[in-house]
Amino acid sequence: MTHYPQRRKLLFAGAMAPAAMALPPLARAQANDYYKGKLVIINIAGSPAGGHTRYARMLAPYLEKHLGAREVRLVNMPGGGGLKAANYIWRLKPGASEIYFGNVSTLLLANLAGSPGATFDPTKFMFLGRATSEPRVLTVGAKSSIRSVKDMQAMKRPFIFPSQGTDEDFYTMAVLADALGFKLKAVTGYEGNADTSLAVIKGDGDGHITGWSESLGAIRSGDKFPVMMVTSQASPDYPNIPIVTNIAPPAKRGVVQAMATILETHRSYIGPPNMEPAAVAAFRAAVNATMKDPALHAESTKGERLLSPMEGTVQQKAMAEMARTSAALSPILKAAVKDIQ
Amino acid sequence: MIDAITAGLFALLTPQALLFLLIGVVYGLVIGILPGLGGVVAMALLLPFTYGFDPVATLALLLGAHIATIWGDSVTSILFSVPGSAKGLALCFDGYPMTKQGQAKRALSASATGALMGGIIGAIFLALCIPLIRPVILALGPSEYLMMALWGLTVIATFSDGSLMKGLTASVLGVLTAFIGMDVVTATPRFTFGSEFLMDGISFPVAMIGLFAVSEMMKMSIRGTPIIDRSLVREDSTVWQGIRDAFSHWWLVIRSSLLGLWIGVLPGVGASVAGLAAYAQAAQTSKTPERFGKGAVEGVIAPDATMGANEGGGLMPTLAFGIPGGESMAILLVAFIGLGIVPGPEMLTKNLDIVFSMVWIIVLANIVVTVIGLGITPWLARLPSLQANLMVPIVLSVCFVGAYATRGRIEDVLVAAVFGVVGYVMDKYRYSRANFVIGMVLAVMIERNLHISLNLYGKDFLLDRPIALAMLLFVLFTAVLPFWRARRKKRGVRGGAA
Repeated sequence: MTHYPQRRKLLFAGAMAPAAMALPPLARAQANDYYKGKLVIINIAGSPAGGHTRYARMLAPYLEKHLGAREVRLVNMPGGGGLKAANYIWRLKPGASEIYFGNVSTLLLANLAGSPGATFDPTKFMFLGRATSEPRVLTVGAKSSIRSVKDMQAMKRPFIFPSQGTDEDFYTMAVLADALGFKLKAVTGYEGNADTSLAVIKGDGDGHITGWSESLGAIRSGDKFPVMMVTSQASPDYPNIPIVTNIAPPAKRGVVQAMATILETHRSYIGPPNMEPAAVAAFRAAVNATMKDPALHAESTKGERLLSPMEGTVQQKAMAEMARTSAALSPILKAAVKDIQ
Repeated sequence: MIDAITAGLFALLTPQALLFLLIGVVYGLVIGILPGLGGVVAMALLLPFTYGFDPVATLALLLGAHIATIWGDSVTSILFSVPGSAKGLALCFDGYPMTKQGQAKRALSASATGALMGGIIGAIFLALCIPLIRPVILALGPSEYLMMALWGLTVIATFSDGSLMKGLTASVLGVLTAFIGMDVVTATPRFTFGSEFLMDGISFPVAMIGLFAVSEMMKMSIRGTPIIDRSLVREDSTVWQGIRDAFSHWWLVIRSSLLGLWIGVLPGVGASVAGLAAYAQAAQTSKTPERFGKGAVEGVIAPDATMGANEGGGLMPTLAFGIPGGESMAILLVAFIGLGIVPGPEMLTKNLDIVFSMVWIIVLANIVVTVIGLGITPWLARLPSLQANLMVPIVLSVCFVGAYATRGRIEDVLVAAVFGVVGYVMDKYRYSRANFVIGMVLAVMIERNLHISLNLYGKDFLLDRPIALAMLLFVLFTAVLPFWRARRKKRGVRGGAA
């Protein structure tokens, strides 16, 4: 339920607006002033050259303006696919003005798969707002005879999936194989998406999952063919590509929906579980205001770093829902990891 | 095609593009010289400033900076045995011994000229190969990468002078170090002892900074004399000697350049492997392989020529498929998107003029780097004669800042210090540090590609992959060649004595 259908989202916003307006002015002022004159540290879960850093740098000046902070300082904390930064935030003492920014879906999946590096319960983090989420797409190579999920199900051999290892796409593919009923052979050890892309184009592997923009060029040039979107909603960007939540059998829709919800958390701000309520409210308000800032929109369009915001309150509710429904995911993910070991 | 070649050149010959190229080159040289920082960091830091400018000027800035880091990396490897980044490693093997023998100017100028010739040869072949790029890339896969890594391994024998057992021991230690962290195949932690830091493994540049630079500084501070004591060793080489060396070894330069282009085409293989493979082929095809590791100028020319040409090759998968061959190419891809350029098959047809602009940028940037490099070589060559009490704190500070800058993690400073002690002990007891890093670089690449080859093609994968089989035969041939030559030489000596 992370991604409310548009109409429900509007209804929700409509219902919440009077409630927000009814808040005492003092409380709102306190929430907005919480970070006034303070130093806020954003721990980026990635390297200085990575995509998270590019987004964090773009957002920082706007966030600083809307928080009223003295400074929003960016600190790179790469390691363990974001686990190092998440573990650090989990252990913060109350009152610390430090926030995590990075891919949240990997944290959720690492926890569900029982990764030894994940020492936190991801649903207990304070979700402060999403900056962007890119829909993920399953593509096959141009040489492949596969053109639909039915073709995958009808294969007499396993679907060969070149993979880096236990990243979010590996886990997603394991869930898809279980939900849609096709055999899967994950060939791990590839170095990155560039490597798996070439394997798929060459025909060494049948298909792989990437962000939509990563595969768009190859789809347009005919090197890859999109089989399905791993999202919960259709989009005008890809009107003819099936959405996984629509094609999964009814009994498996809950699992697939939980997976899509996790993937859609993507690039978000999260705070420690013991974060003060006033700090949470102030940060969420600042993220919301940042995402509506026209100057940021102009910059994001110019630099092709698109935004797809989601409010922290909506994310937090989705996490609570996900915690309830994702229990079914855990054994699938653990079995997939066991398979490659 | 001729139209595209001239249009590409004219697009670069604007004041803005030429100025950006110059800025990029000077900036890249500075970044390259700083340990731990290489082409990736240079481009990543420039990227935010590139929006809104002319595409060719932007590419001149980014590619100029990236290309300049190659020689910048080589400078510290040659003068202080401090590799600026992973790709500068092979330059430590013979460049540093040359410096200690009073041949720093010669080594630096041979390195700059080698990189220039490699860059130009790589650019020419890139231009000629444009129609073949896609089929070539599609023909290569994990089995071919595996053979490339095996070729790199054969150089171990070169550094095992005196005791092959000690050489192999050092390599095994390197392999074990590379295995620290998450297993790339099974995602299982290996040798991490529950440490979160170790889950990311030991950073290769950090280990190199420790093994080579920190240990050398330890030696120097114990000895109390500079790298070169001018009262004992005079700097008697000249810049021209190095230039002449590069030209007189033209066949080695061509071979190394083509090797660099080839490795560049293989996404994910990386410039550090390119440097090692270049060094291996130079040593194995030399008539006097015993000089390698002791200050052979060929050991400087070959890696630089390979790395110069490697950049052109690295562009191929990025341009032909929109698939970045490495981290630096991923940054270039981001710049392409910002500039509204869509890499892929159309790049090689509709946007061919931009491709040729990039070819010209590579050529011009290499020329500018070499001119600046040769100009500053006489001053750079004086640095190793600085007194130990001045040199040790400066170099150690730069090393530890570099170790931190590699991943922005304070633990890496400790790792550099620990590897400094390891390097000191290895050197004292004649265990080759070069073999250690060769094992470290190639271990994961071999593991990764062997696993993928077995999984995709089965245990008889060599029979399914004729190119890989041909490469294996070539690897065996080049591995056996030095032994065969040495045996023939011995027989000749015996025959002469009789």
